[in-house]
Formats: sequence, structure tokens, C-alpha cells
Amino acid sequence: MATPEPSRAVAPASNPNSKLLATLPLFTLNDLLWLLYLFPIRFLATVLPRWSLYAIAKLSNPIIQFDARRSKARAIPWIEQACRATPAHARRIASQSVSNTMLRTLDGLLLLRPSWEKMLRCTGVEGMQHLESAIARGKGVILLAAHLCANRVALRYLAAQGHAALFVHNQQATNKAQGRFGSRFLQPRNAQILKRANPDHVTIQDPDSSLRVMQRLRAGGLVALQIDARGGTPVEPLFLGVPWRVRGGIFEIVRLTDCAVVPMLCVGSISGFRIRFDPMLEIDRAPSRETFLSANLPRFLAVVERHIIENPEEWRLWNNW
Amino acid sequence: MEQLVKDAGSGSRDTMERIRRIFIESLHLNLREEDFSYEAKLDEAVGLDSVAVLEFVTAIEKEFGIVFEPEKLTIVLVRDLKGLAAYVDSRTALRPNHSEHSA
Repeated sequence: MATPEPSRAVAPASNPNSKLLATLPLFTLNDLLWLLYLFPIRFLATVLPRWSLYAIAKLSNPIIQFDARRSKARAIPWIEQACRATPAHARRIASQSVSNTMLRTLDGLLLLRPSWEKMLRCTGVEGMQHLESAIARGKGVILLAAHLCANRVALRYLAAQGHAALFVHNQQATNKAQGRFGSRFLQPRNAQILKRANPDHVTIQDPDSSLRVMQRLRAGGLVALQIDARGGTPVEPLFLGVPWRVRGGIFEIVRLTDCAVVPMLCVGSISGFRIRFDPMLEIDRAPSRETFLSANLPRFLAVVERHIIENPEEWRLWNNW
Repeated sequence: MEQLVKDAGSGSRDTMERIRRIFIESLHLNLREEDFSYEAKLDEAVGLDSVAVLEFVTAIEKEFGIVFEPEKLTIVLVRDLKGLAAYVDSRTALRPNHSEHSA
């Protein structure tokens, strides 16, 4: 879900077809951590209570932070600038973002259990009236959110409450710390697990992904779509104060389907997670692709930026910079 | 092109020709209608940009004055020119003012 991709991170390091793959190291610490996550920890997660998974996370946190040290060092000045934070506060945000990403990734394993709802509690949903009024338009709704840690769990919860959203996911998301082993073997394995955890799912690499999005919207349903979903013309506006590559795909979908767009904020915590829907975005229904994009891009970005600034430690992409 | 259209088992000749033309226009392809393989070009376009197919589908809807049923919005149907033409013809036939136009 949600935010654009930094222009510096465009190189598809995890794309098996990329020539860049050959330049990656064979095996990295990040690969080892993913290997542990995808095999022993995943098996343990089928029987262990949530608190014990979190205890494992706490024990492994120093290693995770070490693995992310370079990306954190790059992210800190950006966080200082974007969040108007002191250097010490920016360091805390960067570290907390890494920890939260790990915790919510572990929550993803709990979604594989039939009893996941007892372990991952929703502590509140605000603004449901905004979602309902958008659904009442009858043209489908795109849930616009930042890449926040709790999105997957929140979407699964919404589906259980009768508001299933098609989750559009990038199967080849950039992970600069990954090696060839991780890219070739672990990332596809993780994609399978994500699909099991949230079966109402399509990857942007699927050739029919856009048609499935349109199908869902035409049926009046919900789609959780990222602003950086592939497709469409790339543009590079300023986002959180830095140039950021955004693809026009989401704007094309909104233009061609006339669907509603509702910003969604999902925030996780030890006790569970909460969801907030903001009022429907006002869309300028400009007729051409270019005018539609230029008229609406600032509104979409402003919402995503606001959500990130409100909850900087929940945004997963600081460390992708 | 002539042969392609003659082989069609289902969609009408005129519909297929119009769909091929819409395909070229909506995807902004610099091609002549008679010298490309529809399926290969569609796969190529969708492989590069899956959103492009939405432009194509909505252009068909506009041209023929129809709306695709949600369950028919599949790559299998869109890739099959004959099947797509047949579907478009069947939807066109359901339009309330279709008989007036045909008359």
C-alpha cells in the first residue's frame, strides 16, 4: 500500500531479470534474517503465543538494527528535515521504524493462524462513515495509505468485518540489503506467504492486475492500492522534501473508473492496531491523463505525507532511502 | 488482416476491425492496422504497463456504447480478439437503441 518509491531506489535490485542481480553479494546478513523468519520462526509462529514471538523479536532487535545501520544513517538527516526532528529524535524514529517493521512482519505470520483475530486485536476504527459514504457512490473505492507497518493486518481485519479490499502488492519490492540468495529464493517464498496471509491479493507483476482492480471497483468493491503502483507515466515530485518517483498508474485507474479515494491510516502497537478513515478525497475530474495527474497528484501526496508525519515511526520506507 | 478477420468464428468482421483500430489508438502504437499480431502486441503492452489495458477497455466501451460486466474484465477475454469481438457484439445487441441503429 501506499507511498511512492524514492528515485534513488529505482534500480530493481530484487528483480531476478535485472543485470544488477549479478552484482549483489551471494548471501547477506539480511538473507540470513529472512531465512530464519521464513522457516524456523514461521513454524514456531504456528504454535507460540504472540508475546513469545515478540520476545524473539526483542532478542534479535540488536542484529536487525545492525543490519539496517547504513540505511538508518542515510535516513536520519531526511527524517530531521521532513519531521522537523532533532538529530536524537530522528535516530529514535529510524530505529523504531526498523523495530516496528519487524514486529508487524511477525504479525503477518500470525495471520496464517485460524485464531489470528484473538491475537491481533483492533483497538478502534474511526471515520467509518467516510468509507461507507464512498462505498455508497457505487463506483468502488481506493483505500489510499502510506506504507505503514500495520496495513496488512488492518486489511485482513476489514475483510473479516465485511469490507474486503483487494490488496495490490509489489512482489519485487526493493530491498537493498538483500543478496542474490534472498532475491532469488527468499523473496518469492515470502510472496507466497503473503498471499496465504491475505488471499485477496494481486501483485503488480500480474499482467491482469489492472483488470482485476477495475473488476473490483466496477463491482463497487474496495482496492488497497499504492500510489507508487507500476504503470503509467513516471513523475518525480517532491515528497517529504526529496524528489520521489511516482508512477501515474493509480491516477489512471481513478480517472478511468471514476472511483472514490479514501485515505486510510493503520497504526500498530503491542496491544493491537487501530484504523482511521479520512474524508473522501476531492478529485479533480480533468479529462486527459496529464491534466488529471497534475491536478490530483499534490492532493494524494499531501495525504500520504500527513499520515507519515503523524506516525513517522510507523513508516517502513525511511530505511529504503 | 483480411485473412484474420475471415477466420473469425464469432465476432463480426467490422467489430474486430474497429477493436484493432481502437487498440492502436488507445495504446498510442505507431503501427499500421494490417501488420501486427494483436495478441503479441497486447502482451507486450500489458507486460510493460498493465494500466494500458484499462485505457483500451474504456476506449472500447466508449466506441461501442457498452459497459463490460465486471466478471468479464479478464486478460483471457481481452487477449482473444475473436472472443472479445463476440462479447462486444453481444453487449451491443443488448443496448436498448440497438435495433434503431441497425435499421
